[in-house]
Amino acid sequence: MTLDAMHRSQLALRALVLLGPVVALLATGPAGHGPPWWLVGIVTVLAAAAAVAPDSPVGAGAGLVVLGWWTLSLRDGMPVSVAVAAVALTVGHLAALLASYGPRAMPLDRPTLLLWARRGALVLLSVPGSWLLARAVRGEPEQPGLWVLALAAACVAILGATVAMDLPDREEPR
Amino acid sequence: MNGWRPTAAVGRALVLGSLGLALALVAGEPGLVVLAAPFVLLAALGLAHRPRTTPAVAAALDHRTLPEGTGTTSRLTLTGAEDVEYVARSAARPPYLALRPSHGQVGRLLGADGPPDVEVGAQRWGTRMAGEEKVALYAPWAGFRVGPVHLPADPLRVLPATAPYDSRAEAPQPLGLVGANRSLRAGGGTELAGIRPFQAGDRLRRINWRVSLRTGDLHVVSTRAEEDTGVLLVVDALADQGVSDGVDGAASSMDLTVRAASAIAEHHVRRGDRVALRVIGRGAEQVGYGAGARHLRRLRDRLATVRVGDLPEAEHLSLGVTGGAVVIVLSPMLTPAVGTVAATLVRRGLSVLVVDTLPPDARPPVSAGADPQVAALAWRMRLLERSVVLDGLARLGCPVVPWRGPGTLDDVLRRLARRARQPRVVAR
Repeated sequence: MTLDAMHRSQLALRALVLLGPVVALLATGPAGHGPPWWLVGIVTVLAAAAAVAPDSPVGAGAGLVVLGWWTLSLRDGMPVSVAVAAVALTVGHLAALLASYGPRAMPLDRPTLLLWARRGALVLLSVPGSWLLARAVRGEPEQPGLWVLALAAACVAILGATVAMDLPDREEPR
Repeated sequence: MNGWRPTAAVGRALVLGSLGLALALVAGEPGLVVLAAPFVLLAALGLAHRPRTTPAVAAALDHRTLPEGTGTTSRLTLTGAEDVEYVARSAARPPYLALRPSHGQVGRLLGADGPPDVEVGAQRWGTRMAGEEKVALYAPWAGFRVGPVHLPADPLRVLPATAPYDSRAEAPQPLGLVGANRSLRAGGGTELAGIRPFQAGDRLRRINWRVSLRTGDLHVVSTRAEEDTGVLLVVDALADQGVSDGVDGAASSMDLTVRAASAIAEHHVRRGDRVALRVIGRGAEQVGYGAGARHLRRLRDRLATVRVGDLPEAEHLSLGVTGGAVVIVLSPMLTPAVGTVAATLVRRGLSVLVVDTLPPDARPPVSAGADPQVAALAWRMRLLERSVVLDGLARLGCPVVPWRGPGTLDDVLRRLARRARQPRVVAR
């Protein structure tokens, strides 16, 4: 399918899918840890693949590379640009979600876009809160008990989510 | 039907959220929680809205039969859709069917209006497979999805549009019982035949008093009987020449043939004539003589199912023409056999006229690898052969007229009617 056959709303969404991880990666620059060109290339290729096929797992790969680079970049401090990266990654994820609602020629209607804009804004409210929390925790001495508890909670949450996804439907298919 | 399955989006949010948290813990870097937090929330909200009921999807067209150029609606029916937030439909695009909106690709939040409809417009006569589509249903926060569910197509019969056509010419050989055509014999019609002396049995209301007083003897007005006639439509479906762009675009030879046959059939049925149909083609479709609105519907139904191609091996080119019928052959006249049939009928003394339905800009399809110049030369030779056939028919007294809508047949029908009143030698 050519770009002409793609609806404008789909083009805009896929552009966001492409730009989200790239902007999140480049946001390490202001923190003094600009990514090497080859890493930008890898993320761009992965994000482009995700833009072409937003339903594919490639998008998660681009996000993971960004997370990895941010892990290395955050050693020197807690820059504001990490919040920018979080917003960019989330916007790219939501754009991929909306783009995968239907085929490329399917336009996204205004009520759906507005609904997800509100939802995105709601979810992004967690970014400044977690940034402030992380900044507060970052200066504190080591608290192994707290970290183990958080790790255990995260593991339980992931396990629960996995089990929930694999559970059969409660009702028989009609 | 498939049940609910997690979407790629919720999987991606789970991976990024959980690995972000894990990296934060392993590396002892709380800043990574900022990146992971939105994904953890999105995954949690998606999973929290896990659907409880499995919906069932079905689609149906409002109409199964349509006139060319009109449309119908494909409606989606959802049952058990309490947990559905968004519905996406992606309809296949069969040839000569127009889909709206967005060529049948439509999605909408499921609200009070129900799922989105897809309008289907029929652009060319024939049997079309409409309504094939894939449907996907999404739960709130797009955590789970049903489908895409494949819904099969339904046959949609598209009746040929009635080309603008009207004729005031009388039928050449009306031999029926009751109709609108002026007959050769006298009877109780309205068309004046003459004034003659009164005879026993004449009705008193037919006495012409002016002539009777002037001559001193009773005279009556005689009229001609009005009868119906049999019209046999012969449709040449051996090949389709030219390109068809639907009802509003360029017309192929089959388009012209079928639409013209539909128009002529409608005209004669409305006049009370009996109309029959014979198709020279792969399907060898035929409809016997009949009249009335129901018969017209049967004729148009049959025209809509005409299959283009050579006659079956066992099928003889027999038209079963009865005496007194007017035979109207609708053909691009590129097959000598059709010309032979028309000539044979003319020699039998029947009123035959040929409607030439070859589009002026028709060109043969050139297969890949063929030399275009050779193909053009072959086409010119074919047209020369065709002109020879048409000239031969004209010499036999069989008029050939190109289809041009209203009044196409008036002149030739009048000439045939005049000729039918003259004595002639008939080959048997």
